[in-house]
Amino acid sequence: MSEQPTELKLHQQSRLLEITFSDGVCYQLPFEYLRVYSPSADVSGHGPGQEVLQTGKRNVGVTALVPVGSYAVQIDFDDGHGTGLYTWEYLYKLGKNQPALWQDYLDRLAAAGSSREPPPGAKK
Amino acid sequence: MSFNETDVQNALKSLIDPNTQKDFVSGKSVKNIKISGSDVSLDILLGYPAKSVWDEIRAMVEAHIKAALPGAGKISVSVTSKVVPHAVQRGVQLVAGVKNIIAVASGKGGVGKSTTAVNLALALAAEGARVGVLDADIYGPSQPTMLGISGQPKSVDGKSLEPMMNHGLQAMSIGFMIDGEDTPMVWRGPMVTQALDQLLHQTRWDNLDYLVVDLPPGTGDIQLSLAQKVPVTGAVIVTTPQDIALMDARKGLKMFEKVGIKIVGIVENMSTHICSKCGHEEHIFGAGGGEKMCADYKVEFLGGLPLDIRIREQTDSGKPTVVADPDGQISRTYKQIARRIAVKVADMAQDHSAAFPKIVVQNT
Repeated sequence: MSEQPTELKLHQQSRLLEITFSDGVCYQLPFEYLRVYSPSADVSGHGPGQEVLQTGKRNVGVTALVPVGSYAVQIDFDDGHGTGLYTWEYLYKLGKNQPALWQDYLDRLAAAGSSREPPPGAKK
Repeated sequence: MSFNETDVQNALKSLIDPNTQKDFVSGKSVKNIKISGSDVSLDILLGYPAKSVWDEIRAMVEAHIKAALPGAGKISVSVTSKVVPHAVQRGVQLVAGVKNIIAVASGKGGVGKSTTAVNLALALAAEGARVGVLDADIYGPSQPTMLGISGQPKSVDGKSLEPMMNHGLQAMSIGFMIDGEDTPMVWRGPMVTQALDQLLHQTRWDNLDYLVVDLPPGTGDIQLSLAQKVPVTGAVIVTTPQDIALMDARKGLKMFEKVGIKIVGIVENMSTHICSKCGHEEHIFGAGGGEKMCADYKVEFLGGLPLDIRIREQTDSGKPTVVADPDGQISRTYKQIARRIAVKVADMAQDHSAAFPKIVVQNT
């Protein structure tokens, strides 16, 4: 297991999670990106083809990072979602493939006719 | 012929500690070298409990220095042990009063986890450590019987529980809190994990060097809870030699790897059966299974124990082998395995490479 992070830095204003790995690599993952790719079964489903498209998450914030054993972190979002356990391996994959994964999300949003913006007046 | 501290250090660089397989200088065990005239005195501080062999180590070090420095006069060596706490990173909640947590697991049921866990805990205590046992088998607690403890735990503040004591160990089990030996805990997963959490965190453990956690068989709720909520220093896998047990033990091992818990090693139980009438020794469950598993996963083979009627009789009676027959061969094997576990745990506790990363929150 080479992907061991040395530091997780939560930038609350710019809504970014900066994560530095032991191999020197450093990724900046926007909260929205983390939220729509949450590994929780509520979002990813229980297998390929069962994913639930998350919409309106442009302004989502992170309220807490909770350690899970020594192998993952649970991210608590301010829209109430907090069941995703992000392993180091998963975070590394999100960082490494960010452009492709983000574009894929935008394509799926467009195909569904949905938007990144939160619905007006709605509680995030 | 005069000599100085460096000469003494150099002499000890060539003496290997049989428990760690490293020399005493690399193991950072040599302290306080003092030379006065031709007399030498020094302290050996072991990172693991080893009371039963302190004298042996002292004699070995003294003889080695005498041979390396012929001009030396009086040589006085004092040997003590000090257990290093697991350096858990900020974030993962430390269990108050506990320095290191050792999980004893198997994957398969009936291989002797509880018996092995209780005897290893007693062996560590016999070597001078302060040890506690947490019986994490909510559905089938065995520790109250094995330790010969009855009664209910008291609370000094209405919130926390005092651990029960016997044979020098602190213990906690759901078994202490139920009325009647045959009351089943008919609980679903969430209740079980909550119970484990309470037993672990709400017990007032008193300055333990090691907390040995006796896990139930399997790879489910209880194992996951332990891995996710608690800083386990390392896991010991118990198995019997036959393929059916090994298949499950392998799953147990892979589970720990998946959740980032280091494997201290494998103990093979019921390696041989010795007939109580004629003394014939037989590998009734097969041979070499534990060692093969160790080779496959590159983990250490900690030792093997026989299928001996006395082990069963002693735990059934509430006085496990290590206290019932402390100088017997079986106890000596348990103590050897315990020392080896303690050495590896000391190494793991100081290894920061797998520690939890730093978490920083900024308003940027």
